[in-house]
Amino acid sequence: MFKKVLIANRGEIAIRVIRACRELGIKTVSVFSDADRDSLHVFLADEAYNIGPAPSKESYLNIPNIIDVCKKAGVDAVHPGYGFLSENTNFARACKENGITFIGPTPENIESMGDKLSAKALMKKAGVPTVPGSDGSVDTVEDARTVVKKIGLPVIVKASAGGGGKGMRVVRKEEELESAFRACQSEGQNYFADKTVYIEKFVTDPKHIEIQVFGDTHGNAVHLFERECSVQRRHQKLIEEAPSPSLTEEIRMKMGEAAVRAAKQIKYVGAGTIEFIFDNSTKDFYFMEMNTRLQVEHPITELTTGVDLVKEQIFVALGKPLSFRQTDLKQKGHAIEVRICAEDPETYKPSPGLIRACRHPQGPFVRVDSYAYPGYEVPIYYDPMIAKVITWGETRQEAVDRMQRALAEFILSGIKSNILLHRSILRHPTFLEGNYTTQFLEKNFEVIEPEIFKEVDDHVFLIAAAITAYNDRKSKDVRQLNVASKWKNMGRKIQLRM
Amino acid sequence: MYFEADLNNKHYKVDVVEMRHSWKISIQKESDSWVHYDIPKSDYKRSESYFSFLFKGVSYLVDVIGKDTDYTVFTRNSYRNVSIFNDEMLLHESLKRGGGFGGDMDLRAGMPGKIIEVFVKPGDVIKSNKPLLIMEAMKMENEMRSSSDVKIKEICIKQGDSVEAGAVLIKFEEA
Repeated sequence: MFKKVLIANRGEIAIRVIRACRELGIKTVSVFSDADRDSLHVFLADEAYNIGPAPSKESYLNIPNIIDVCKKAGVDAVHPGYGFLSENTNFARACKENGITFIGPTPENIESMGDKLSAKALMKKAGVPTVPGSDGSVDTVEDARTVVKKIGLPVIVKASAGGGGKGMRVVRKEEELESAFRACQSEGQNYFADKTVYIEKFVTDPKHIEIQVFGDTHGNAVHLFERECSVQRRHQKLIEEAPSPSLTEEIRMKMGEAAVRAAKQIKYVGAGTIEFIFDNSTKDFYFMEMNTRLQVEHPITELTTGVDLVKEQIFVALGKPLSFRQTDLKQKGHAIEVRICAEDPETYKPSPGLIRACRHPQGPFVRVDSYAYPGYEVPIYYDPMIAKVITWGETRQEAVDRMQRALAEFILSGIKSNILLHRSILRHPTFLEGNYTTQFLEKNFEVIEPEIFKEVDDHVFLIAAAITAYNDRKSKDVRQLNVASKWKNMGRKIQLRM
Repeated sequence: MYFEADLNNKHYKVDVVEMRHSWKISIQKESDSWVHYDIPKSDYKRSESYFSFLFKGVSYLVDVIGKDTDYTVFTRNSYRNVSIFNDEMLLHESLKRGGGFGGDMDLRAGMPGKIIEVFVKPGDVIKSNKPLLIMEAMKMENEMRSSSDVKIKEICIKQGDSVEAGAVLIKFEEA
């Protein structure tokens, strides 16, 4: 077993890893930027070291600084969490060169899935369905036209290195193709220094369904079923659930087997996720990409399978074979996760600031992975997600009801959050019937829920504000009287005596 | 204590009276009739960093942030910005609004009041920041000054007049 592990991350995921280490008797080392001295992962770890200024580039992405701390603290292994350096081959290699185990896939694993075009080619080889498209880069507008003739409209033009919604254009009419093609080329060049562009069939009724896979250094690979993550805004996930309400057992098994073939094709080691785009009308699924790390939404897989994914990552990193076979794994009940973000629920703009009151939900079948606490100031430099609430139920409806109950218990003031947005989504008929697609929030949501703050009587706000204003002014008056009139008071006293 | 308040694009009048054991609070929304509440202090009490507010039998945990005229109230993960003005601030705010000579070339009363004294007459050319008149509102005398160099075109009121909110007091033209 490792003696000491450094967690090269922050926020709730750093705490998640600390918890797994504690349960295994491993000492933990946190690292923090100047903006994170008061962050919860610093308080909860056994040791904590500053690794640089607030901007991620100078701290959480600063490989030399993190390696220095690893050596200073004498750690055996590093867990990268998600984001930051989790899919950075340079970091994985730097760890190796310094004799530190990287708890994650091999640098080769990361590399083979990092480039979307080569990943797609690999998947085709493994017999994993991929979206019909250009099979490689498209260099000219003429080539783009040929591809579109072959696969038909609508299509999506993508920058190979793109992500997070950048370098992507949907083309529904032939005349839009040229401008979309050029826009993706220039966005690819500007944001990712790579103007390679490819074209794929655009799925009109798309669901985002992903399969959790796990591989070990002995050539074993299994899947831990699916997670549906179609509730998104701006290509970022908001609510995830397992199992997906759209899959039959037959399709689930087909997707799982495809995902295992994908993992075996690249001799994948550790926890990974194969993302599929699922066509809700035809029930076809296509490989999108592989995330070579632990996912934000991993808890819903943990709750439905009973497997502690982070501990399993640690075991695999130690060179142990997987502690379960495919036939040992069963999906039980239903789990939902919502991401609580410090943001304006109406405009989706980040809303960092000082948390005043904060009390997390508790009670049966509720899990909260959070780094928020009263008096904590959410920094402006990092992701606005401050907490995840995960509930489990025997049925989907029970999991939804538990989530509504848990969110109603969540007390958070001082910053704006999307808690009420989640409550609105969870009672929306489109969500409840389960046929929602990735366009749900943008297309179906606004019409039914234009006003999410409708539950509280406006007089409650008015009375609370008025009493506070009254008390503020009352105390001010008293102060002014005391401070401003000392000489007058003295004068009056003298006069009274006379 | 009398307040005017803006909440969710609606205007309210609010009166707060603190009794020994309760808050007497009256609220009027725009032209609706007044609603009166008698809230025992035990129904609005501090608990940890927030207030526990039992209102019409419903239990709210309330947190209020802000000062002067701008408050944000959080409860049940809803939140609203409430702008609150009392006498002095109301007048101050309304003067700021009414006193914008640049666009409309007249001085208006931001709220109801009584004209105590007028310092200028038609034809006068007035430098910036000179007193124009004194108006009493909410039992306070308020001197209203010119915000730029102007020429007085017309005086629409006289000493002792009572004026309504929005009434034109003085008309100007370019100096």
